[in-house]
Amino acid sequence: MKPRKGTRAAAAVIAILALSATACSTKEKDKDPAPNGSGNAGQLKTGAGVSDTEIKVGELSDLSGPFAPLGKSVTNAEALYYEQLNAAGGVCNRQVKVEVKDHGYDPQKAGTAYTELSGKVVGISQLVGSAIVTQLKDQIEKDGILTLPQAWPSTLLGKKVIQVTATTYDVEIINGISYLAKNVGLVSGDKVGHIFSDDEFGANSNAGAKYAAQQAGFSLVEQKIKPTDADMTAAISAMKSAGVKAIIVSASPRQVGPIMGGTETAGFKVPVLAHSVGFHPQLLALVGAPMEARLYVASPVPSINTDMPLLTKLVADYKAKYPDQPIDQGVLSGYTTAAMFGEALKAACKAGDLTPAGVMAAHRAQTSLDLGYGAKLDFSSPDKPPTYQTYILRVDKTVPSGLKTVEQAFESPGARTYTLPKPS
Amino acid sequence: MTKLSEIVLNGLALGSVYALIALGFVVIFKASGVMNFAHASLLLLGGYVIAQLHDELGFAGALLVGVVVTAAGAGLIEMLFIRGLGKVELHVLTILTIGIDILLTTELVRRIGSDKLSLGDPWGAKSVEVFGANVAQARIAAIVVAVVLITLFFMAFRYTAWGLSMRAASEDREAAALMGVRMKRVQLVAWCVAGALAAVAAVFLTASPTPGLDRTTGFVALKAFPAAVLGGMDSALGALIGAMMIGLTEALAAGYQSDLDALGGGASGIAPYVVMILILLWRPTGLLGSKELSRV
Amino acid sequence: MSEPEPKPGAALRPAAPGPAKSSVLNLRVAAAVIAVVVMALMPYYLTDFWLLTGLFAMAAALGAIGLNILSGTTGQLSLGHAFFLAVGAYGYMYFSGDSGRSGTHDISGLGLPPFIALILAVLLAGAVGGLFSPISGRLRGMYLGIATLALVFIGEHVMINAHSVTGGYNGRAAEPMEFFGFTLADEDPYLEVAGVEFAKYERLWYLALALLVIGIIVARNLLRGRPGRALGAVRDSEIAAAVMGVPVARFRSMAFVVSSMYAGLAGVILALVFGRMIPEYFGLALSIDYLAMIVIGGLGSVGGAVAGAVFVTVLPQLFAHYAASLPLVVESGGDGVGPTEAARYLYGAAIVLVLLFSPGGLAGLVRRVRTPRTTPRTPARSRSAHSKEPQGAAS
Repeated sequence: MKPRKGTRAAAAVIAILALSATACSTKEKDKDPAPNGSGNAGQLKTGAGVSDTEIKVGELSDLSGPFAPLGKSVTNAEALYYEQLNAAGGVCNRQVKVEVKDHGYDPQKAGTAYTELSGKVVGISQLVGSAIVTQLKDQIEKDGILTLPQAWPSTLLGKKVIQVTATTYDVEIINGISYLAKNVGLVSGDKVGHIFSDDEFGANSNAGAKYAAQQAGFSLVEQKIKPTDADMTAAISAMKSAGVKAIIVSASPRQVGPIMGGTETAGFKVPVLAHSVGFHPQLLALVGAPMEARLYVASPVPSINTDMPLLTKLVADYKAKYPDQPIDQGVLSGYTTAAMFGEALKAACKAGDLTPAGVMAAHRAQTSLDLGYGAKLDFSSPDKPPTYQTYILRVDKTVPSGLKTVEQAFESPGARTYTLPKPS
Repeated sequence: MTKLSEIVLNGLALGSVYALIALGFVVIFKASGVMNFAHASLLLLGGYVIAQLHDELGFAGALLVGVVVTAAGAGLIEMLFIRGLGKVELHVLTILTIGIDILLTTELVRRIGSDKLSLGDPWGAKSVEVFGANVAQARIAAIVVAVVLITLFFMAFRYTAWGLSMRAASEDREAAALMGVRMKRVQLVAWCVAGALAAVAAVFLTASPTPGLDRTTGFVALKAFPAAVLGGMDSALGALIGAMMIGLTEALAAGYQSDLDALGGGASGIAPYVVMILILLWRPTGLLGSKELSRV
Repeated sequence: MSEPEPKPGAALRPAAPGPAKSSVLNLRVAAAVIAVVVMALMPYYLTDFWLLTGLFAMAAALGAIGLNILSGTTGQLSLGHAFFLAVGAYGYMYFSGDSGRSGTHDISGLGLPPFIALILAVLLAGAVGGLFSPISGRLRGMYLGIATLALVFIGEHVMINAHSVTGGYNGRAAEPMEFFGFTLADEDPYLEVAGVEFAKYERLWYLALALLVIGIIVARNLLRGRPGRALGAVRDSEIAAAVMGVPVARFRSMAFVVSSMYAGLAGVILALVFGRMIPEYFGLALSIDYLAMIVIGGLGSVGGAVAGAVFVTVLPQLFAHYAASLPLVVESGGDGVGPTEAARYLYGAAIVLVLLFSPGGLAGLVRRVRTPRTTPRTPARSRSAHSKEPQGAAS
């Protein structure tokens, strides 16, 4: 294209446009909201997301993608917590307001949704999806806002702003294997199978399983599967011919169901250990009998249907607010995560600093937080999970969540001797 | 040895299900000259209808309704979208089916949500022993049903008027039309047949030992693509052979994963695609696909 | 298989704009320049949300232009575009990154200057596209389409397992772009223009815009020149093209190389914008998005590809952003049709409706609105004149 007359005319137009534009840009830089007056609340320091009447908390969930079941339960439960918190007077005489964004497990949508939260909220009390957290973690660190992900791989450790809320997958499986060894009678030299999905969750859990097996003298028979696979028959054949005494599964309910069903049809009725994220109550209708007989679930929290004051109240309140929604472990996870964030806000208020940095500092200063379900949480080290404890749950068809607690919080000897993957 | 026979049997059962889907691809391709990407959502539709109705109508009744609804759905797609387009470029039609798939899948996924639905199939967790291997009854049923349906299909293709028209049409559409073949009806029936096969495939994809229909069940259709392509897009027999190869490859790669560690583990998911590429390099139109003849 | 119909001539008609065209052309150039300037002013007005959306759209536009050269102009269906984006993105991260650790694994990198890395990544994507030519040269139509599908799945497997290059599931951080000490990031140096802070997205905006403008000009010149006519001839009839002396195999694989380079460039921009790439991003859905872009925009048209990319990228964001104020759409998490679903419906419906009623896509619509006298000038245009349009489209 050769320059023509029209180009010159255009250039003139442009020059004018450019001048007028630069002179009157209306863009408000939402990243630095004017620090709010410290007048009303005495010495209280405030920053992004906090006004005189309101504290804004962000949530970045998956409400339309593959993790929508978890996302929905967690979002509902968090809403319930904040509603109760507000009814009790809020924090620092301010009402907590939640801003929920849906990313549908799409990194691109997560990226843009995050820009709508960063700079406008005091912290993020829900971030669903391991891959999404990984995608955003550098930016979250740079922005310095406390974020509580709904994913527990130990690769998320090591950043001050990201608080893994419970026992990591690798530690969880170490505890689970030690329970299994004791209770179904595995001895040194036995073969134990590990079926794990080809993603961060599976890989992290596999690191723990390797360590636990080596400590106990088991030989680990590994089988990697694609997260989208549903046909487990070949994997089961491999386990069966290797002669494993138990199978550990680090995968989603989509695979746990077929593994329970497949081992049953193959007449290969060994105990199976899964993570709580691998269980869903709807599996009961499909493979209830084998699950009742030989599924063990390792979980960072007790069954929501355990007889504890906090939990019975939670179940009743949740039912009242969301009568049509299922009660699953996601409800408990969401509620306790929101409570964790609420405690951080309260502590920050007490310390007189409700800026994002203040909330994070207050949160990290808590070394023995008890949310009412048993575990004591220590948030002081970004390199460690807040607890090393695990509950063992088993199937109980009579309760809504389908799970009952059979072993209260415990920590196996291997949990602390295991070296967590060095954070980056 | 039991491990091998177990894996082979399961591979064949998996292959049978793929064959039902791949045959659908081939029939549609022969009739309309398009690779139907909407097949994944048709499969999901069939499964969803059966899951919703099996409580009221019983499994057999629900299956019948599911097959009819899916066949009708496929026929509707042909009538509404494909027929009017006439002669356009291949990938325009293909992309059109992707658009239809997005619409239908979005609606079904919205309805299914996070549920895992049972189709109420009669086999349950029962198993039978074949050659010393324990195989789920549903898997044996899959093989038997697939064999019956595929035999029926081949007979229809060979001996009925529709089959003759289909064969004439795929040889030369214009000549067939001139000879009095009612192309519209031939194409419509082809789509309906493909839809019905997809609904049956849905049953076996969600029966024990892989229980339950969920939002991602339709993805399996993606694995039947390599089956249809490596056999030859316009060969029903090729689709059958391709499906068996893919089923066996996948089962063997998963079952003997520990021996394939060098490939980085979890290679069974990509094994079908690797096999397909290798075969296509050798025969660019698949094993039994007709060579592209060019008249100048 | 589509039957080869010898219909030479039309596609090869030389591009000879008559003298009457020059004023039209002048106007178009002026419009284009104004469009570029308006785009250049955007960072003064847009918030981060829209800046980021715009950056995604510009990257997508580059990728779509590439796919359009392959599928629209040459008629080779590709479902593997996401793979070439991944090659570009990871190539850039590998060339520019330093060796070190990411998560639990050692990763390696060459530590080259980012700008060199960008160029190398684009060349790498082109080279990988070239490596595919034994397959792309042999396969036709649907066979090629499904074979490229394999690229996505095999590519995903490689990305997850090649830890030292890609960082595995954890992905890998991308070095920010840098020109002689000026970094396209939030700091280093701090920059404020006319009262607006120029942070990462503002700075990247200009890089993406410049690359997009270059990409559009290169593609237009390519398609209007001899190569474009040859590619169009290959699409219409390989035999006719061969008879007329077009080296068919070479042009087919050339289209693959060029298309992959565009995809690679889009991948590099995405890596810069995201700051960290994970393998999950480059799935089949991404490939399908790109196909949708070129279909909605109009096969064979550069402008159409850009329009399609903007449509597909911005639509879901619009829905998510304005969910609260749209009728019939409930906010995320509620029952009924959520914004994500609504965007999916519209996206699927757009593909179907465009193909049924305006097979030329958005570009075809624009063309039809304009005077019908305009004789086909680019090979892209010749097609709509020759392929039979559906009955419904005429009305």
